Amino acid sequence: MAPKRKKVEVEEEEARAQEEVEEEDEEEEEEELAFSRNYFLAKEVGSASGKRSAARKVSEINLVDEQLLRASLSELPTKHEKEIGSLLESYKGLYSNWLFELRCGFGLLMYGFGSKKALLEDFASSTLTSYTVVVINGYLASVNLKQVMTTIAEILWEHYKCKAKRSTGKKQQTQLPNGLKSVDDIVTFIVDISDDCNCSVCLVIHNIDGPALRDPDSQQHLARVSCCSCICLVASIDHVNAPLLWDKKMVYTQFKWSWHHVPTFVPYKVEGLFNPLILFSSGHVQTTKTALVVLQSLTPNAQSVFRVLAEFQLANEKEEGMHVSELYTKCREQFLVSSQVTLNAHLTEFKDHKLVKMRRHSDGQDCLHIPLPTNALEKLLQELV
Amino acid sequence: MAKHQSSPQSASSQGANSQDANHTLEPFFVLHKAQPQATVVEKVSKSRKGRKKGIESSPKSPEKSKRTTSDEQPSNTLYEQWRFKAFNEIWSLIQSSIEGVLRDINLKLFNEVLQWIEDSFSEIKSNVKLSSSEILQPYPLLADTLCRKIPTAFVLTKNAEYVDDIQTFCDLGSHLKANRCHVANMSALDFSLKFGIGGSVRSLLRQLHSEPLDGKIADMLTLAKWYCEEENNDKPIVVMIDDMECCNADVLGNFITMLSEWVMKIPIFFIMGVATTIEAPKNMLPSDALQHLNPCKLTLGTPSDRMNSLVESVLVEVCYCFSLGHEVSVFLRNYFLRHDGTITSFISALKLACSKHFSLESVSFLGLYMLDQDSEERWSEKFVYLPESMKRCILNLHSCKSEKNLQGGVGSIVQQLSDLKASQRFWSSVVLCLFEVARYSKMQFLDIFCEATDPKMYCMNGSENILKKHFRCGDKNSTARSSSGVGSITRVIHTIREMPVAALSNLLDKWNNHTEEMTEINEEVKKLQSVLASVDEGKVYEENLHNIRNRKSVSVISGKGNSANEKVAMLLDAMIRKYMKPLECMTLHEIICFRDVDVLQSGLIGDPRKTIQLDLLKCHSYLSCSCCSSDAKNLSPSMHDTSIMYKLAQEFGDVINLYEWYQSFKTVLTSSSQTSRKRGCPSPASKKAKPLPPSETEALIQARFCGAVTELQISGLLRMPTKRRPDFIQRIAFGL
Repeated sequence: MAPKRKKVEVEEEEARAQEEVEEEDEEEEEEELAFSRNYFLAKEVGSASGKRSAARKVSEINLVDEQLLRASLSELPTKHEKEIGSLLESYKGLYSNWLFELRCGFGLLMYGFGSKKALLEDFASSTLTSYTVVVINGYLASVNLKQVMTTIAEILWEHYKCKAKRSTGKKQQTQLPNGLKSVDDIVTFIVDISDDCNCSVCLVIHNIDGPALRDPDSQQHLARVSCCSCICLVASIDHVNAPLLWDKKMVYTQFKWSWHHVPTFVPYKVEGLFNPLILFSSGHVQTTKTALVVLQSLTPNAQSVFRVLAEFQLANEKEEGMHVSELYTKCREQFLVSSQVTLNAHLTEFKDHKLVKMRRHSDGQDCLHIPLPTNALEKLLQELV
Repeated sequence: MAKHQSSPQSASSQGANSQDANHTLEPFFVLHKAQPQATVVEKVSKSRKGRKKGIESSPKSPEKSKRTTSDEQPSNTLYEQWRFKAFNEIWSLIQSSIEGVLRDINLKLFNEVLQWIEDSFSEIKSNVKLSSSEILQPYPLLADTLCRKIPTAFVLTKNAEYVDDIQTFCDLGSHLKANRCHVANMSALDFSLKFGIGGSVRSLLRQLHSEPLDGKIADMLTLAKWYCEEENNDKPIVVMIDDMECCNADVLGNFITMLSEWVMKIPIFFIMGVATTIEAPKNMLPSDALQHLNPCKLTLGTPSDRMNSLVESVLVEVCYCFSLGHEVSVFLRNYFLRHDGTITSFISALKLACSKHFSLESVSFLGLYMLDQDSEERWSEKFVYLPESMKRCILNLHSCKSEKNLQGGVGSIVQQLSDLKASQRFWSSVVLCLFEVARYSKMQFLDIFCEATDPKMYCMNGSENILKKHFRCGDKNSTARSSSGVGSITRVIHTIREMPVAALSNLLDKWNNHTEEMTEINEEVKKLQSVLASVDEGKVYEENLHNIRNRKSVSVISGKGNSANEKVAMLLDAMIRKYMKPLECMTLHEIICFRDVDVLQSGLIGDPRKTIQLDLLKCHSYLSCSCCSSDAKNLSPSMHDTSIMYKLAQEFGDVINLYEWYQSFKTVLTSSSQTSRKRGCPSPASKKAKPLPPSETEALIQARFCGAVTELQISGLLRMPTKRRPDFIQRIAFGL
């Protein structure tokens, strides 16, 4: 029993430490922001935070059901569909110039507001017919650059083998792609064989500034590949600070960007698919929903234990929390638990799902507390019935 | 182009559409494979094939042209191919010229480095002679630190940006390779903490081995074994690090220490690029690594010297087939001086200008024949097969509209092109003469170049004497004017008046070479040379000294301008007025002159931070719809949601209260829709919203709100709420 309790204590300590670290991080972040802006705006932050108590909350908005909102979002009619269509049509006249620049050795970098996915893919499928086109959906966090590079290496290797076969006298010096281990090895392999490949590969990268490609290593790999003689690059950026990803060597000697401003105003439907909805991601809205889901998956007894704790918290708002012993007594009275062990099992479950937090009471004893505001807790109890 | 691609286009796009839904959530996919019949010969531009081959395949094939004339429709694809070939030819010419210039500038340093390596290598060889078996033994270690010193050349690059030095080090590498050295060109990436010393050794071996390592262990013993092979032995190994200060100090320090253990067995030399001062290695490297280096200091030329040579050889000597207009020249000058001062950025800007010229100017392919001796014949041949539409393109060029002579037909166009070519030759000769003086007074060639391309300057020159103009402007202004790029030519003329006789004589010798094609001027130069030679040198010198002492009292106009200096100055003035006609003043200059500074600027410097905000604030200018107001301040429900949201966000400070933002957004969508209903022109949004029950309208507004916030988040204009402040969003971009 003793070591078990110790373990629980250690876990609690760890959780507390983690919370403190998170809070510190946020504080640092805010400080950073205050310093990063000029004096007057920093002042403005101060005044805004002063008024924070009076500021309106997201919870005051009469939010519709999340499912309904998601459904409306997916069926949202696009405004100015016709105008957007003619805007995209107008870019078709530039395709031949874009191709010309690609052939001159430049990389095309498309920027401007609106999703450029359809535009780039239309350009690639209609104009880049003489290239093998590999499309990378950089807006997805699941992009694995090693797999992409392997695919490119395989395409080049196929051509290289065909060429080597034709000129029988030539000794095959390069290794097979299968033997390559790291991304670095694969990129080096691509660079090595690219001069001898009689093919043209075009990499179309939607959001080269996307979550999975943002790191310096990925950018270095892409830069190295982009300056191969048989590979050209067409990429799009959406983030206003995307140029900070590259140093001068990458810009002038590797990517060799030719910038093109092509605002499309097409909704970022696919790009924003995995972004949380702002009205549901912030504050307690999400927590209430998740808490409900967790509670509903627990046994009725466990739900009742949580209810006892919640009702106590609602009745004694000024209290720091409920003593464990007090909770045990109440639960025992209502025949919800038979022993301390059962209660502890329930509490561990709650803590694991962050439904309940342990606090040190001013009298020195540990007490339990549900980290939800009163109105959210009330709503939760209503829905738990 | 469109015609050429119509069938594959429709087929492939249909295919793409059907697969679209599957592809959006795949991390990557192959859209299509290359169609075999249309493999692009990209390598022409990259491998820089010889000019002869290019010309043979360049736009003069009459059969192809005949076919197009018979079709009566100009094939854009064909002309595009011609323009692409012309670009390849001309850019490879410019590029080889750039490479030649940079190589020549660095050659002195390269030879210095080579000499230093050869001397040190022969010294090592004379002291130590080891057999292969001894080299391969890792023990005994050398105990004496004096013997463990690696000869190291610190090359001061005098350039805070190392990007220019990458090419210099590559050239140095090839120079050393050609002179019996093994070379490994390493960079800061090879000395990173992530891969440690193992990564450095692996990279070194990978560069030295011609074959892949094939799973060999990358260690010093592998290097020793490789060095013991017969073909590798007896040559120094040069390890070059172009940006030594960017390397991880510990990894580099360990690398140096490790190599020093083997230095008597494997003769290794370091060449390290140092951007700041010679003190940098001392400050950076750990002392135990530093004691193993035997340093030697070498210095590279400054970027402005390199720039001068580039302007001379690329912009002036190779300007017959592609040249820059005045505005573009001024832009490039400012781009070089104010952007980052690197030659690399300047060259890439020049290349983009060249590609934009050949991409956008439909008749630019004609410029290629400017290079040929028999240009006129080539043009005549070409014009016979050119369809009427192309001829009309030429006659519609802006510079031709006022030219009535051109209506005479092919002959007159060819004549104008020949005049253009001759005028460019004269222009470049005069500019080269100006550069000779600028070299003496250490002026920036780019300033003179910008002024020499200015068409306004030429119009002014026609009416008045530059010397007089200079006098009128006064000497006080000259320095200030020169710093802004104006008045450089007047400064050049002024410099001539101050030159000593010896320098003047040298100058005339050089002018003699440059003015060979301008007989009249060349004769004058020769006369002046003979005048200088016939006068007793001592006397002239004395006279000149006297002039220098009393310079302030000498007046140009008062008639004392009879000295040799004054005569040379007058000659230059005459040359400028008569022969330095800027390209933009010539008919048909559009064929070889790139003037569109806006296109170049937007292609070179994308400013997403500003542009994306502008897109949102002025979306009407792109969409030009009838439903929204063109006034940027007015908000109507039919406007793009994200645009409404971003405009509303402008009213908030550093942070945005989500509730208030949502309410403002809702107000815009609902209240304005009522007013538009009153007006009788319902917007698309209100049309949709009308029949819906209130809850669904609310859902629609909330969905639009969420979608717009997500879009702003993707654009990086917002930062999501933190746990501590869940009701506020942080604005990131302020002002344009």
